[in-house]
Amino acid sequence: MKAFATALLVCVAACGQGKAIFNVDVYSFMAGTGKDTIPYIIPPSTTASVSTVQKLSLPPGFGSSSVDSVKITTGNADLQNAGGAGSIGFSLYFASDSAGTYGPPAALNIPATAVSGVETVPVAITGDLSGVVDSLFKQDVLWVRIEATGTNGSLTTPVSGKGVLTALLIRVVLQDKVF
Amino acid sequence: MRTGVVALALVLLVLAPVRAAHAQFSFDARRFGMGGVSLGRDGSVSRFNPAYRAVKKRSGLNGAPKISIPVPIGLIDFLQQHPLGKLRYDPMFNPDSAGFNPIALMNLITSPPIFYDLKKPPAPTNDVEFTIGKNAFVMDLGQAQALVPEQEFGLGTTSRVLDIAGPGFAGFHVGVMWFLHYDIGLTLDDSLRRVLKNADSVHANSVYSILGDATGQSGIAPSISYSGRLTHGAGGADSSDDGLYLGGAVHYYLGAGYARGRGPAGFVTGTPVFGAAPTPLLDDTLWTSNKAFAKGVGGDVGLAWISGPFEVGFGINDIGATLTWNDTKVQQIRYFSAGDSITTSLIANHVETKTKLPITYVANSAIRMGTGTTVGGDVVNSGRGTIIHVGVEQRYTVFAIRGGVARDQRKHMQFGFGGGLRFGGLGLDVGVFTHSPSLSEKRAMTMATSISIY
Repeated sequence: MKAFATALLVCVAACGQGKAIFNVDVYSFMAGTGKDTIPYIIPPSTTASVSTVQKLSLPPGFGSSSVDSVKITTGNADLQNAGGAGSIGFSLYFASDSAGTYGPPAALNIPATAVSGVETVPVAITGDLSGVVDSLFKQDVLWVRIEATGTNGSLTTPVSGKGVLTALLIRVVLQDKVF
Repeated sequence: MRTGVVALALVLLVLAPVRAAHAQFSFDARRFGMGGVSLGRDGSVSRFNPAYRAVKKRSGLNGAPKISIPVPIGLIDFLQQHPLGKLRYDPMFNPDSAGFNPIALMNLITSPPIFYDLKKPPAPTNDVEFTIGKNAFVMDLGQAQALVPEQEFGLGTTSRVLDIAGPGFAGFHVGVMWFLHYDIGLTLDDSLRRVLKNADSVHANSVYSILGDATGQSGIAPSISYSGRLTHGAGGADSSDDGLYLGGAVHYYLGAGYARGRGPAGFVTGTPVFGAAPTPLLDDTLWTSNKAFAKGVGGDVGLAWISGPFEVGFGINDIGATLTWNDTKVQQIRYFSAGDSITTSLIANHVETKTKLPITYVANSAIRMGTGTTVGGDVVNSGRGTIIHVGVEQRYTVFAIRGGVARDQRKHMQFGFGGGLRFGGLGLDVGVFTHSPSLSEKRAMTMATSISIY
């Protein structure tokens, strides 16, 4: 791993005062594993949460760098509602281990989207995470937890369905410091 | 780490001028203005062509100076920008600085700042963009992709650091020389080249490596040489330089030490690319001499023919120079993923190995017309590619204008132009020339200045 990190850093160093930009395709780590799907069943008159956790691997060797910005540049999910009427929101948590994603406040909250009956509603997931989770993106491993929180205002009918992530790209800009 | 980088830079800075001087023949601004051409008798081809040692040194040969003294304006400018007392904090040499650029440092090493840079070698400062997915890793180096070589790259030369001619008679001389040969070649494999140059994605379960092959050897060589004039022109021996000249030398090489390393270094990706740590790849063979005084015999030959304004020469060095090292250690250096360690194992010890000094040659021609016009050309190969120079000079009273073209070792066309002023026994020459540093495809432009004494 050290050799790989060294090779990578040499490539970055070759560009002098330029910055290192990482486009992390979070979705690719989740696709096909089932973790890109969050099923939900919200009983009447309640609020419920369900989440999925994913480990991300990043290039090593940037521990001494400073992070300029962390942004979700592309993020999409489909709310495939199977029945009932309510609203579903998303929250993203980041930490250096899986358990840690349950501790801190959310790095990003996506406002709730209304769903009703059988329908598919697209949701855009974008936002600026700069200053919130900067240090985590200098590590070669971090964890992300995506939580769906649903609210059911009905007194009789549960809300059910699933949230399916279709894209999630995080752009990290580092001022590299390689030696 | 910083100390190591600076130390390496300084070592290479010491070696680099040897290479530059060797490749360019001299620090003569007149020659740079003519595209780097060496004009036979008033050039420096006698280093390569022993026949020229028999040609009389005549001053004033169509404007050729006795001595050319470089004016190191570039060095003055460099030291103003990089004061010696502040080198420790200089971004040029300080990897901890945000302004540190290894490409700029390499450009400095490959193009020593003796002369003034009109156009500095490019040192890209663009962003590098990585796209990371579970099974994808794309590295877009932007403008820096131009720095990724298509073919083998490296540096190397054979130098005669000292070449002392001793006493002799009837054209024969004995002497001794100190030779130094180094050659470092690196080749990216196709996969790695596509990743770096074309922003192709890294694939799972694939090998990405650089094949390195580096050799260094040095020693001394007692020599017996001959140079003589076989024929004379119509007016006799002293009326002109006309005639056919022959030179040759036999060297008995005594190697002092040598080392060679060869093999790949890189990494092997896992599955998926970013789900498993890549495994470093290192499987190299290292040869080192245990004892000095490797032995070998080689020689130089040269011919030169001068007829009136025309001359032509050809010299070839280190023919058959194979050194036999009787006591060599062969080791294998490998990386083992189990334990994350590098191990060195002995393959063989006290075995015989052989090394070669690359053959070096030069062919040159020049014509000096009575109208003040001099035209010349040369072809040189000092072990790492052929260099071709063609240049012309026109003198008008105290003025001279010059121009030339060259094809460098990497087959890039380079250009030179310049001029000179001469007042009695003193002259000032200026030559502007283009050159491509080792790590760039683009040209830099440098102005050489020198004082000529006639």
